[in-house]
Amino acid sequence: MRKMKKALSLLMTAAMTAGLLTGASAATAFAGDGERTKITALLKGTESTEQFLVFDHLLQNFCEEKGLDYEIELVNDMQDYFTKLQMYINSNTLPDIYGCPNGTLSQACLDIDALVDVGAELERNGYAENLNGAVRDFLTDANDGNLYLFPQGLYCEYFMYRKDIFENAGITEAPTTWTEFEEACQKIADVGEIPVVVGGSDAWQLMRYLSFSPWRVTGSDFITNYQNGTDSFSDNESAKYAVNLLADLGTKGYFEPGFASVDFTSACNLFFGGTGAIFYTGSGQIGLAEEMYDNDELGFFPVPDTEGMENMSTNVPIHAGFAEGFNKATYDDTMQEFFDYMCENFSDACYNQAQIFSPFNEELPEGLPKLYYDTQPMFAEADTAWTSWDDKLDSDVLTKIVDEQQKLAQGISSPDEFIATCDSFIEK
Amino acid sequence: MQKAFGKKSVIFLFVFPAFLIYTAFVIVSIVWAGYYSFFDWSGVGEKVFVGFKNYIELLTQDSVFRSTIWHTLIYTVINVVIQVFGGLLFAVLLSRIKKGRVVLQTLYYIPVVISSVAICQIFTKLLSVTPTGIVNQLLSFIDPSMKLMEWISNPAISLYVTAFVEAYKYLGLYMVIFYAALIGVPDELGEAALIDGATTFKEYLYVRIPYIKPVIIANCLLVLNGSLRSFEFSYLLTHGGPGNASELMTTYMYKQAFTSMKYGYGSSVAIMIVIICMVVGMIFRKMTREGEEE
Repeated sequence: MRKMKKALSLLMTAAMTAGLLTGASAATAFAGDGERTKITALLKGTESTEQFLVFDHLLQNFCEEKGLDYEIELVNDMQDYFTKLQMYINSNTLPDIYGCPNGTLSQACLDIDALVDVGAELERNGYAENLNGAVRDFLTDANDGNLYLFPQGLYCEYFMYRKDIFENAGITEAPTTWTEFEEACQKIADVGEIPVVVGGSDAWQLMRYLSFSPWRVTGSDFITNYQNGTDSFSDNESAKYAVNLLADLGTKGYFEPGFASVDFTSACNLFFGGTGAIFYTGSGQIGLAEEMYDNDELGFFPVPDTEGMENMSTNVPIHAGFAEGFNKATYDDTMQEFFDYMCENFSDACYNQAQIFSPFNEELPEGLPKLYYDTQPMFAEADTAWTSWDDKLDSDVLTKIVDEQQKLAQGISSPDEFIATCDSFIEK
Repeated sequence: MQKAFGKKSVIFLFVFPAFLIYTAFVIVSIVWAGYYSFFDWSGVGEKVFVGFKNYIELLTQDSVFRSTIWHTLIYTVINVVIQVFGGLLFAVLLSRIKKGRVVLQTLYYIPVVISSVAICQIFTKLLSVTPTGIVNQLLSFIDPSMKLMEWISNPAISLYVTAFVEAYKYLGLYMVIFYAALIGVPDELGEAALIDGATTFKEYLYVRIPYIKPVIIANCLLVLNGSLRSFEFSYLLTHGGPGNASELMTTYMYKQAFTSMKYGYGSSVAIMIVIICMVVGMIFRKMTREGEEE
């Protein structure tokens, strides 16, 4: 019995030691004397994604200069990332820098006072005026109007099209309205080509087609009011229009066969590999489009207008990607120094490391692919940011709409069924 | 030595580590899931106690959950049929051949050691519609319209395709187990049957296969248990879709907890999975025990 007690106490000691070691790992950014030795970051993606490329470059140079270490934890899958972030929030052990979307999770971080007021910091270091207005709008906190997140970059989205297929189909002008868009799709289908390539297994790809019309007509009003229970798909004409549009595109065979099992990466490979006439893409894929565009094989056009309704002037969705938060609890002089260093060198890192637009309004450096210079005028005058339904909708409602939109696009449910089902998700 | 193994303390010493690990990773998890299932919690922030509300909603209002139970049962039946009876058939055929048996055995076993992620990636490419995968390419030689046949994205068959992929992966495992059992059947039993005028088919049907019945039952239970809790194939291949066409109880639980951020509700789904697994397992054991008693 005594031996058993001894064995049990040994086991418990081992378990406690393991627990202490685990807990200690979060605190290793500081040495015994309280001096910072390391900067830690949690980012979504892989070693080839923009967020990593930018921050790895900045942290490497800064830490080298300051004699610090840095550690970037990467989680690629979105759900896994959110789970990890939630775990850090719950245990209040967030790293110095962490990727965070504007919405429920940024609110949870604010609730534990773990977000630095980035807006105030930008005012302090003089970079606030340079920040693109649409990007700021995209990341502004809905509750207090402050800016707590730093943009990953400036992303603009647009449709790219194959000039040769358009020519073969007898389409002389890029579509400017959704009716023209559908007419173009029909003409392309008639010549035996796939009209639109879409990564239908990635929720956001189909959701864009549901969002375009409400965004152009109401800005963020429809989706905000829908979530609040003061608007619905059945009451909003632009939302109904979007539902019918997605149903048309999916059931009339304008999307590629088997689109529901094609993810965005595969869709990129398909389109830039020579399949399909139209693809909704953006500045994040300039690297893939560069060669075809330089060879005059590709053209681009913004989000078409919704006929019969008043559309806002901004027709290019602009957003800030997956933004970054700075942990208020560990935001010391070193982190403030890094913040200033980051602002100073962010544009350079965006263009030269990650090949994305900088969120700061600066002149484009020389030597970039032609597509950068040609697409920039499209959003130069943009004053309204893209409204991401992912950020505005409650996670539960979002998940349900994602399931329903796939049924709608595949013709499993009709537009009326979709509207009735989605309206039932919200309690008025 | 034999005396030492008879001692309670020695038995305890061997059983305790496994019991400890099982308790820490299974029992504690179930208890925690049970605790969370009584709360409304998004994973962050305050937990709100709601009593049995999650269970009531799950059992009375959630039509998707009801469909996932049905899907899971179909999925399990397909897996039992292919993995157990397919595995048995392959094992019988293997036991009948002399040349190349080891090569075939190894080939059939390869999918077992390949990770599920890789298997799903392979099947995604094989069954792809755009660009045309190998399966559709081959089928189009028979019927050109088959080139556009949707497998993974077709709501009518995506569940069956997913079940087939899992069954394909584990078929080799059960084949090896059955093969080991079949070669363990005493030869004199088969020989006696043959002398009595039985054909080879009857020898297997009435002598060899009944002899390995306990192994068949054990394998059925393993597949049953594995399929009821299966997650990765549905999640990786179809994301439970299109819509909820191939949604299983486990993928639904994951979606509720981690995508919809309803940890409490997701936990109640998890508890229901535990209960359903236990009930199905007990019914199966009762059925097979009754058979044994007869």
